[in-house]
Amino acid sequence: MTTLTRQDLNFGQVVADILCEFLEVAIHLILYVREVYPSGIFQKRKKYNVPVQMSCHPELNQYIQDTLHCVKPLIEKNDAEKVVVVIMDKEHHPVERFVFEISQPPLLSISSDMLLSHVEQLLRAFILKISVCDAVLNNNPPGCSFTVLVHTRDAATRNMEKVQVIKDFPWIVADEQEVQMKEPRLIPLKSMTSDIVKMQLYVEERAQKT
Amino acid sequence: MDDVVLHFHPGSVVGLSSLLEQTEKLLEPFTCRPPPVFSPWFPTVPAGHQLPIRPAKAAPRINPAGGVLTAERGNSIVSTETPAKHADKTEDALCISETPNHLIPVSQTTSTSPRQHPETETDRLPVQRSWNVFTQGGFLLQSSRPLSKCFHRLVSVHRLHLHQRAKWVITEQNCNDVEKVWRSLTRSVRSSGLPTCNANIQRERAEIWVFCDVLYSEKVGRFLKDELQLSGRIHLSVHKLGNIFSL
Repeated sequence: MTTLTRQDLNFGQVVADILCEFLEVAIHLILYVREVYPSGIFQKRKKYNVPVQMSCHPELNQYIQDTLHCVKPLIEKNDAEKVVVVIMDKEHHPVERFVFEISQPPLLSISSDMLLSHVEQLLRAFILKISVCDAVLNNNPPGCSFTVLVHTRDAATRNMEKVQVIKDFPWIVADEQEVQMKEPRLIPLKSMTSDIVKMQLYVEERAQKT
Repeated sequence: MDDVVLHFHPGSVVGLSSLLEQTEKLLEPFTCRPPPVFSPWFPTVPAGHQLPIRPAKAAPRINPAGGVLTAERGNSIVSTETPAKHADKTEDALCISETPNHLIPVSQTTSTSPRQHPETETDRLPVQRSWNVFTQGGFLLQSSRPLSKCFHRLVSVHRLHLHQRAKWVITEQNCNDVEKVWRSLTRSVRSSGLPTCNANIQRERAEIWVFCDVLYSEKVGRFLKDELQLSGRIHLSVHKLGNIFSL
């Protein structure tokens, strides 16, 4: 068993790669489960050895990829505290927020044998929880859309430059309206602790959705 | 509750009954006042600099009824499909959507994009559809027959899963005009309902890719060949193996 230390490879990059790959699958699945998009644009695929629904709509896929491509540098530098998938109603008020809270341990020492299999098992559990979360959530009103919010550890304006990695995909500070939710109901879904990353996922659901 | 012992002088002025009554009152539980709902004096969302960040561009919207791709402009929804296309839309045409229209500048489809292109001739060109999803339940599905012996043997040899995705490739060698075939294919989407299919046109390669499950790939291939009157051979490929079958 080989033990890797921070000097051996860029841990931030490894974590960012793993998390962004996971977040992409998770976002697709959330959009499918919460019926933000018509089910016809989704196809069944396999990830982490479990079935997942992935969009096959090129523009939506591009949007998600661009978003995560921009988020990656923040995760790499451990600047992203939360990545939130917000489902909004027609008036752009949030009805559900899927909050991925991310934390990386300051000292990293991992075994390569353990890394992939263990992390994959943990991420699989997240995916399975997302796929059944509609059982504990109320139906969303029709005409919902979504956005991705990134809460940074430092002031958002300081991280603006890091996130502007795609020229035609600018980022802005979110409006308070997009962040605030009236009387949210908190539904914890899953948490994980591994050598390289700690993460927890919970849903904030608006009490009155209609 | 433990027993309570009441000591009293037999000759006291206050009678036993009133003493008992007084004791019972004392032993009653204290009334609980529910605390008022806590409302912090500070704003629940911290000051502006701690607000999260988000992409300026809004996520694409896809209309389930007609599969029309729309984008937001301020608070209004802008359809990228022409009215003529709306008119011949059928209920069966679920989820026919379109790729990003490179002919329309981003500033037209997003609310806060900083790019401002002057309107050019190309901006007014109609949208070129380059992506389709076929609905389930078409006639092919209804008249489904088992796989041919040849194809069944192929599936066994390559150990293919019946729901594995496969790709038919239509090239310029199969037709004179790929765009014309693509338009025919788009039209036939509405009437045929090829099961498990989605298709896209690779304009830079002058190819049409039709994806479907291995289970239906043979029928889909025959349908494509007959319906689109393709010449030559079209090839079926699967991931990792490459071309495995031709028609």
